[in-house]
Amino acid sequence: MSARYGMVIDLDRCTGCGSCMVACASENNVAPLARATARTGLTPMLVRKASNGMTGAARREVFIPIACMHCEEETPCVKVCPQQAVEVDKGTGIVMQMPQRCLGCRYCMTACPYHARYFNWWDPVWPAGMEKSLNPGVAVRMRGVVEKCNLCHARLHAAKEKAAGAGRREIDLADYVPACVEACPTGAIHFGNLADRSDPVSQEARSPEAFRFLTRLGTEPKVYYKSKEAWVRELAESASGSGARTGKATLEIRSEEVTHG
Amino acid sequence: MKVTRRDLLFWGAGAAAGLIVTPVPWKILDDTSIWSQNWPWIPQAARGPVEVKQSACTLCPQGCGLRVRMAAGWPVGVAGVSSHPVSRGALCPLAFGAHQLNWHPLRLKSVLHRGTASSWPNAQAALAKAQKEGPVVIIDGYPGRAASSVMEAFAEKKRGEYRVVFSPETKSLLPYESWSKVPASALGYDLENAHTIVSFGAPLLDGWGTPGRFTRLWAERAADRTDPELRLIQVEATLSRTASRAWQWIPIRDGSEAALAAGLARVLLENQLVQTRGPLPALSLADAAGQTGLTEDAIRDLARTMIAQRPVVAVANRENPAVAALNVVLGAVGTAGGIVRKTKTARPYSSAETALPSARAVVIDASVPWDYVPQTDAEVFRFAAWDGGGSKADWLLPAPGFLEELKDVPTPPASATESYAIAPSLTKSLHETHGAAQFLASIDSALPTHEQIIHARCQNLFRLREGNLYAQEITPLAKIESAQKLEDQLSKGAVWMGTPSKSGMIRCERKEWPAFTAAIPAETWSESWATPVLPPLAPKLYQESSLREPPTRRTA
Amino acid sequence: MRRGVLVFALGVAVALAGGWIVFPRVLYVQKQQPVDFRHKTHAEKSGVTECGDCHALREDGTFAGIQAMDKCAGCHSERIGESPAEETLVNHYIKPGRETPWLVYARQPANVWFSHAIHVKRARLDCRECHGAHGESDREKVYELNRISGYSRDIWGHSMSRLRRAPGDGMKMADCEACHRRHGVEVGCLGCHE
Repeated sequence: MSARYGMVIDLDRCTGCGSCMVACASENNVAPLARATARTGLTPMLVRKASNGMTGAARREVFIPIACMHCEEETPCVKVCPQQAVEVDKGTGIVMQMPQRCLGCRYCMTACPYHARYFNWWDPVWPAGMEKSLNPGVAVRMRGVVEKCNLCHARLHAAKEKAAGAGRREIDLADYVPACVEACPTGAIHFGNLADRSDPVSQEARSPEAFRFLTRLGTEPKVYYKSKEAWVRELAESASGSGARTGKATLEIRSEEVTHG
Repeated sequence: MKVTRRDLLFWGAGAAAGLIVTPVPWKILDDTSIWSQNWPWIPQAARGPVEVKQSACTLCPQGCGLRVRMAAGWPVGVAGVSSHPVSRGALCPLAFGAHQLNWHPLRLKSVLHRGTASSWPNAQAALAKAQKEGPVVIIDGYPGRAASSVMEAFAEKKRGEYRVVFSPETKSLLPYESWSKVPASALGYDLENAHTIVSFGAPLLDGWGTPGRFTRLWAERAADRTDPELRLIQVEATLSRTASRAWQWIPIRDGSEAALAAGLARVLLENQLVQTRGPLPALSLADAAGQTGLTEDAIRDLARTMIAQRPVVAVANRENPAVAALNVVLGAVGTAGGIVRKTKTARPYSSAETALPSARAVVIDASVPWDYVPQTDAEVFRFAAWDGGGSKADWLLPAPGFLEELKDVPTPPASATESYAIAPSLTKSLHETHGAAQFLASIDSALPTHEQIIHARCQNLFRLREGNLYAQEITPLAKIESAQKLEDQLSKGAVWMGTPSKSGMIRCERKEWPAFTAAIPAETWSESWATPVLPPLAPKLYQESSLREPPTRRTA
Repeated sequence: MRRGVLVFALGVAVALAGGWIVFPRVLYVQKQQPVDFRHKTHAEKSGVTECGDCHALREDGTFAGIQAMDKCAGCHSERIGESPAEETLVNHYIKPGRETPWLVYARQPANVWFSHAIHVKRARLDCRECHGAHGESDREKVYELNRISGYSRDIWGHSMSRLRRAPGDGMKMADCEACHRRHGVEVGCLGCHE
């Protein structure tokens, strides 16, 4: 049976510590980029900040971990890729980026509504000897290609291999836990099979507290968020901008998103 | 026969036509594509069996359990241990990149004497000479380890002193030590049983105590802000990570924590909202309001909110006697959900941040934060795995790096329950390194080595027959067959945890309200990482994203 | 005109000869295995009959590949017999505790993920389908290193034209795909890539 892997991220439980970001980079052999900035960096998992737009004691902030949303329908990056370097996997629903096939045109980066794709501006370089600490399950990408969250496919490989070794057809979901999910110190990121209606994550995704970002685009992302607080849920269709200016709940703007002035 | 130009052209055309039906163009194209997909200068991961081992993080005294993935004998990833009773599966964000620290460009690789290359025998000779000439002061940043015992014994033998650079959590417990004579290292915050926590700037969700301890507790009992079982009230000047996730955030003027504590105590005592009696703070409520920037009513409201859901405990970010006195007023000292005594055996330590005695040599352990500068004229021997820069030490001695040396992990500061673990060394040393304890034991052969002390501690623990051993499953210590079995289990990453402390009286003798002290701003992970360098992937948090502020450059 | 055809044909002939005979010799460097290992001898003398007896799966399903030194040392801790290969194995590798740097014929690029467990245990493929009759060979064949790609000739296959190949000759992505198509097994890019 084909699975649809997805996540539900409980924003009420995110403290914005950044463990998921570091664990993700370590798992996926992202090089330490000495010269990178927010514009040129490589953060397949990125924790962003949003506020309710108020000031003083009434101000509230929330942290929003953003990785690839694994859009199910009309997947924007798949539609624009001239190389077929990205596809929605039929068996898992994972939007899979193949860096070796990528020619680096970066159409997909422009197309992605979530800014979840990153470009390798430099050859990956580690300090002498540190290549021994690389995760053997993930090939290091070269300069000039785009990459993004592949839902820790190395861990999916390992789970598949373990299942086959034990003579099972289906993987045990306990063996397939993405690095960010494993790293989260508050257990805010829940990972599971959305196609399986008995899966607690799939049930959580259908709860009234759950929401997704930019559903108006019709891309059916498979990463859900949830919060008990209404102003956080209002962020779902908002664009990023300066909350202080609008007085409304807004996502904090990032330098690469400034397109004017 | 004359070769004409026409012949050459025909020949060339024939060769070209022929070449197309040979493997030459196709094979070269194919091989080039394979070559270019895997450029030889792009590093490749080592091939080899992957295994998962368990150890503990020793980069700071919080004793988090580590699950380390090893490939071909090298660590390739770390994760938390979900069954770990101390860290409960969590780690700080920096620990996830810690397995790369051993190759950090700032790693100390050889002995340096005043900036020039020297050797271990030279350093040994220098300290051996110094200890004959005068007292030796030893400074430790992580007391309670087996290595600490070696250092303590050495300092005692050499007529010197053993001093400690306290963690912020221990510092917040120092006022109780001076009032009750119970050592701060024997005290802890029983947050597990509290129902209201008032944090005076303590970064509870961002690098206070063992990361997993409070974050897990908060996620389970406090994250739902509508009606939390555990109310977290954050008193802080700025909307910090903890403040933004707290049940209530009370913004006050920077540094007015002590004034607010005094104001709250005055409200509680004057209105007899608490059963305790004690000296009233000199500060009037109006002055407290003036200093904090809150209204008098806001302080009154906060006092009532604090005690609405009990037990309540106040947590200071550093040493703050006013906050400690507030806890005494709240009756939170020596009661469940407050400040509890976790052990009878701990002893008080003297701070290294007060004047040092005159000495011939000062030895600084690798656990001492790099921003600590000893005020001394003595010859300084500084151990460190990484160079924090701007060192005033005469000798810079390379210490073992992450997971390179067997260490033991005593009870973390501020925890409410005793624990003990062993962090086995998992990787081979990249350089010739020695820990301070090992170095001192090599100078005075009468001293026990830290390995011997760990062995002896396991035997003592075995005789105690209390608490549980947390490995794959939880086993009462009384059911472990032998001391050797216990040591074997601990060496594989198991943790011993004592029984939660029963609240007992801690008598705090105070004649008057403590003198006013300005609070020190809270430090969070990006600012107060125990090692001088951050893992190479840490800039993801502050350089490639705006999640955190960049660490302030340390210049000692 | 006749002369033109002749010269043209000569060009074709030179290209054909160069492309089919000289080119492979230039492209590949021949290398010898560090130890003259014999599959047949092991099958005959030690009673090892299944590939999996030595090339085993680990508990987590990963493939142990060519045996680590300790497996060889189980029998060869001391010299058995008088062959020079025995001498090399025992004195150069087993006694100093060094791993033998075998040249792996089937080594795939770093961005390829292949699971033996899935193919052998779940799909029940025979080892021969990919590795041919390597296990029955008398001596290890010469390892031919591709100067451009850096991998073994066995990836492309011994036949330069890739026509009429013996089973298990060639391990390119096209070969994987062909077999997957035959068996109707569809995996995405990252099913086999890292």
